[in-house]
Amino acid sequence: MSRLTIERVVSGYADMEVLHGIDLCVPEGEIVTIIGPNGAGKSTLMKTIFGLLKPTAGRILFDEEDITGLSPDRVVRRGLAYVPQVENVFPSLTIQENLEMGAFILKGHLRDRLQHIYELFPVLGDRQKARAGKMSGGERQMVAMGRALMLDPRLLMLDEPSAALAPNLTATIFERIAAINEAGVTILIVEQNAKESLKLSDRGCVFAGGLKCFEDSGPALLANEEIGRLYLGG
Amino acid sequence: MDALSRIPQLLVYGIVSGSILSLGGIGVSLTYSILGFSNFAHGDTMALGAYLALALLPVMAQLGLPSGSLGPLSFGWDFVASLLLAAVGTSLAVILLDRLLFARLRDTHRITLMIATVGVALALRNLLQFVWGPQPHYYTTTIQRAILIPQLGIRIKPDQIFIVAAAVLLALLLHLFLRYTKMGKAMRATSDNTALARVTGINTERVILWTWVIGASLAAVAGVLVGLENKFITPELGWQMLLSIFAAVILGGIGNPYGAIVGGLVVGISEEVSTAFISTGYKPAVAFAILILMLLIRPTGLLGRRR
Ligand SMILES: Nc1ncnc2c1ncn2[C@@H]1O[C@H](COP(=O)(O)OP(=O)(O)OP(=O)(O)O)[C@@H](O)[C@H]1O
Ligand SMILES: [Mg+2]
Repeated sequence: MSRLTIERVVSGYADMEVLHGIDLCVPEGEIVTIIGPNGAGKSTLMKTIFGLLKPTAGRILFDEEDITGLSPDRVVRRGLAYVPQVENVFPSLTIQENLEMGAFILKGHLRDRLQHIYELFPVLGDRQKARAGKMSGGERQMVAMGRALMLDPRLLMLDEPSAALAPNLTATIFERIAAINEAGVTILIVEQNAKESLKLSDRGCVFAGGLKCFEDSGPALLANEEIGRLYLGG
Repeated sequence: MDALSRIPQLLVYGIVSGSILSLGGIGVSLTYSILGFSNFAHGDTMALGAYLALALLPVMAQLGLPSGSLGPLSFGWDFVASLLLAAVGTSLAVILLDRLLFARLRDTHRITLMIATVGVALALRNLLQFVWGPQPHYYTTTIQRAILIPQLGIRIKPDQIFIVAAAVLLALLLHLFLRYTKMGKAMRATSDNTALARVTGINTERVILWTWVIGASLAAVAGVLVGLENKFITPELGWQMLLSIFAAVILGGIGNPYGAIVGGLVVGISEEVSTAFISTGYKPAVAFAILILMLLIRPTGLLGRRR
């Protein structure tokens, strides 16, 4: 079954169309990676799926239901979660408060959920009372992912989770992403530094100039010499 | 008496007026941090609160609330009830304003919103003047005896102690709210990053509602306390304080409610203590000087962070 289906989506900003008709399918339980150069429209697609931008044409289906144009808080309630590329934590809130905000729409106790996130990212458990703004880049990425996982989403969207991270941290993050997927969460990733991500992925797509120009299985995309030369840095 | 020996007494006055400035400043700071604009109608919101309390006083007395003085204070339970209900009434009025005006302008430029608040300020003040007239009104005509503390060289009225105590209590409640409640945390999150708050599922419209309610309630209390301290209210009451309030808010770091509290006290004390050295007529100039100095030296304010 398709968890997320994008049909001929056209979207962009007030004065500029960025996506010129994107089709994409994210099957249930899989990891799908979108790669592509700067300005290809990868982040724009994520913002459009999540209701921060309204598409001017096309449809977005989540578990066969139309979610086109829903506001972000409605999208969250449907079971999607999104970690933006930049500014993805609340800097003046503590780690624990950041995670609590991830479950804002829930009533009642969050202890089990918090416990679950601290098991996934033990570093966060050790520093629950530290302000997120004071954390390193890698820890912040974990806070952001933890926040997004608080509601047990059915689809997790990650925009460049390894951007600006040291190589050993990148490995940790991708290992966590694999574990999250193992637990049954479908994942859509945008990556520029895409080799690590494609290794994990069931499918990979290449975006350029607001269009999807290529799609294949993750390993096949990695093995593709032309893609490697053009988009994966040799 | 020489200037220096007057300073302890002026400090007392400064703490009293600073407490009121702090209460007013919190609302300005919260509105700025959550909604992103400077609310020039905040002073007149204070005046609205002051007049609502004035209108409620006789009603409370008729409802049978005792109007006899509470201990050494100049007012009774009827006044306390009017104060609280004025906060409720002012909140409702401000929510209505948000629905009718600010909500429609939510996504427009902050300059547009700021100009809209200037319009609201004028409209509110003229409405108060239309209903109650330009002449001063009085909550009470009771004469109060000041408490003398000769060792410190100061005298302080019980009402002034009440004003400071009320401000401290409200600041403490605000702190507990922001620190420990879910809505308080959501307010801090929204002030950090509105777009992220929305994708996190935080109902930002509800956060905005709470922002207005807290700001308006504290403004109403501040307005009533001005009336208590000055012994009279006029429609101009809030507008006249707006410069000092903005100086306080910018001094503390606009967008930071704790900054508004600190800034309010510093501005209040500076204004009063300055009268030992320069003419009382220059009080507004003191606030203005603080404002300019801060914008030159440290525009993010004492407790402000870079945005
Ligand atoms: N807030 C914005 N307002 C107007 N235009 C924008 C905005 N954000 C991005 N753009 C433009 O939209 C186009 C696509 O940007 P987008 O952020 O989707 O690219 P991307 O594929 O995510 O690139 P990157 O790899 O650098 O993150 C770019 O030309 C960019 O300049
Ligand atoms: Mg991007």
